[in-house]
Amino acid sequence: MRKFRTIIALLSLLIPVMTKAQFAISDTIRTERIVVKSAQFGVSLQNNLDTYLSDYKYTGGGIHFSHESFRDARTGNYRWKYQILFNSRAGFNMQEGNIQLAGIVGCSWSGYHPFKIGKRLQLLAGAQIQLEGGALYNLSNGNNPVAAKLRTAIAASGMAIYRFPVFKSDWIARYQLDIPLAGVMFAPEFGQSYYEMSLGHIGGIVSFAYPLNNPSWRHMLSLDIPLHVKHHSTTLRLSYIADLYQSNINHIRCHMYHHAITFGFVRTIFKIKRENLLKAYSPY
Amino acid sequence: MFKKIFIAIITASVILAGCIGEENYENSYKGNFEALWKIVDERYCFFDIAEKEFGLDWNDIYDKYSPIADTCKNEAELFDVLGDMLGELRDGHVNLTSMYGTSFYWDWQLDYPINFSDSIQRNYLGKDFRITNGIKYTALEDSIGYAYYGSFSGGLSINNLSMMLLNLKETKGLIIDVRNNGGGLITTAEALASAFTDKKIHCGYMQHKTGPGHNDFSEPEKIYLKPSEGVIWLRPVVVLTNRGVYSAANHFVMLMKELPNVLILGDTTGGGSGMPMSSTLPNGWSIRLSACPTLDAQGNCTEFGIEPDLHVDISSHDWNNGRDTMIEAAKTIILEYYEKKEGQ
Repeated sequence: MRKFRTIIALLSLLIPVMTKAQFAISDTIRTERIVVKSAQFGVSLQNNLDTYLSDYKYTGGGIHFSHESFRDARTGNYRWKYQILFNSRAGFNMQEGNIQLAGIVGCSWSGYHPFKIGKRLQLLAGAQIQLEGGALYNLSNGNNPVAAKLRTAIAASGMAIYRFPVFKSDWIARYQLDIPLAGVMFAPEFGQSYYEMSLGHIGGIVSFAYPLNNPSWRHMLSLDIPLHVKHHSTTLRLSYIADLYQSNINHIRCHMYHHAITFGFVRTIFKIKRENLLKAYSPY
Repeated sequence: MFKKIFIAIITASVILAGCIGEENYENSYKGNFEALWKIVDERYCFFDIAEKEFGLDWNDIYDKYSPIADTCKNEAELFDVLGDMLGELRDGHVNLTSMYGTSFYWDWQLDYPINFSDSIQRNYLGKDFRITNGIKYTALEDSIGYAYYGSFSGGLSINNLSMMLLNLKETKGLIIDVRNNGGGLITTAEALASAFTDKKIHCGYMQHKTGPGHNDFSEPEKIYLKPSEGVIWLRPVVVLTNRGVYSAANHFVMLMKELPNVLILGDTTGGGSGMPMSSTLPNGWSIRLSACPTLDAQGNCTEFGIEPDLHVDISSHDWNNGRDTMIEAAKTIILEYYEKKEGQ
C-alpha cells in the first residue's frame, strides 16, 4: 500500500528528470507513454515588414505564449517522439510614429526518430507539419490596413537534447530547428485589395511556397532546470525562440522576425494502462 | 552522419537568412523624396490614362522635383514640394499626410460650376424632412420623393433604407441627390444602388496591379450589382450629380447608370475611380494613391468622371431665386414619364 501511495505521489508530482522517474516505475509497471508538457509565457522583440502595408520595417515588442506536448511512444520496433507545439504572439510595433499591430497563431505537429550519441546527447531528426494564421494591422492605412497571413507547410525539423548534471540534478538543454520546405500560403497579388477579393475575384491568391520564395526557419533553445522544494520538485523551463519568417511572393516582400524569451514549467505525465496497474497492484 | 546533417541544416539556415531583399531609404529629405517617387512609380494605376489626357511623364516629374527636394530647408518645405509633385498626377485620391496637414488636388472640383447650394436645398427639404443613416429625405410637391445623401462615409442599414423607401411609397418617383458626395465606403454605395434593381446586373469591371511596372495589370474582372434583400424600388429614379461627386459616389453613379429605370442628371461627376491604397515614407508620412482601377460596363475608365444622361446646370436666374434647376428638371422628367404612360 505504501508503494502504491508512492506511485500515485510520483504521478501527481512534476518530475524533473523523466528517465530517472521512468526507471523507478518500470521496475514494477510498464510505462506505456511519457508525455512532457510545458506552457510558456514571455516577452518578445519584433521586426515586421510587409510591403503590402508599408515599405518600411515596424519594430517593437509583444507577448508570446506557447504550449508544447512532447511524447515518447513506441511504434513498431522503433522508438519515436512526437511533438505538438502551439505558438501565439501579439505585437505592438511602430515606424516613425505609425502603429502596426501583429497577431499570429500557429501550430505544428512533428515526428522524430531519436539517435543517442553517448550518454548525454540525443539527436532527433524528423518532419513537421506547420499551420499558421494571423494578420498585421496597420493603423495608418485606409483601404489596405490588413495583411492577412495563412499558410501551411511541411518542414524539416531537428533537435539536439543534452543532459548534464548541475548540483546533483540533471539539467536539460535543448535546441530545435524547423525549416519549412514546401507549402501553400495566402498571398494577394501586388495591388489586389481585400475588397476585390470579397467580390469573388480570388484567382491567384494561393501560392506555392518553398525556400526560395519563403526562406523561413524557427530556432528554439531551452534549458530545463529542476527545482526541489521540500518534498516537491518541479522543472522550470527558460527558452529563447527565434521565429524568422520571410516571403517574397507577387512582388510583396514580407518578414516577421520574432525573438522571444519565455519561461514556464514542465509537467511530465506517465501514462500507464489500467490493466497493467491492476496487474501489479491487485490486492488479490 | 548526423553531425553532417545538423551542420548542413545550420549552414542552410544561415545562407537563407536575409534572402528577402529589403530596400532601405535614408530618412533624409532626399531619401523621402526618392521613396515617395518610387512608391508612386510602382503602385499608381493611372499613368497610362494620365499620359493620354495631359501628357504626364513620371520620369520627367522626377527630374523636375528632385533638385527642388534637395534644396529644402525644413520639413514643412519638403511637405509642400512633395505635395506639389503628387499634384502633377491630377488625382484627388493621391494625398500625402503628415503633421503639416494633408496635400490635396482639388482642381477636379474647383475648376467647374458648383451646381449645388445647401441654402437652396433647404427650400425643398423644408422642416419636415427625415434623416436615416445620413440620408435626408422628404416628399416634394407633385408627389415626388427627394433623398439627399451627402457622404458614403458611414454604413447603410438595409432595414433603414427599406423604411425610407416605404415612407416614400406614395410618391411617383424618386430623386436621389448625391451632389457634393465626396465618397466613402464603396459597400455603402453598392447597398444603396442595390435597392433599385430586381436583377443581377453587370455594372463594370475592376482590375489591380500585378507588379511594379506601369502596365502590370490583372485581367478586368466583372462587377455585378445584386438586388437588395430589402425593399426594391422600381419606379423612376433620377440621380443628381455635380463635379463634387467623387470616389465611392462616382462608383454609385457608375452602378446606377446601368439600371433601366434610372436617369443621371446634372454635371459630369468628379471621377476618382481608382480604389486607393496607402503606404508610408521613411519619415512616417502617409501616402495614399489610386491603386485599383474601376471601369464601367463598356470598359471605359471613369477616373475623370461620368457624363450624365442629361446635362443640366443650375442657372444663375434660378440660383438667385432660390430654385434648384436640377431638382426642377428631375421633377419634370418624372412627371413627363407618367404623362407619357397615361397617354399610352
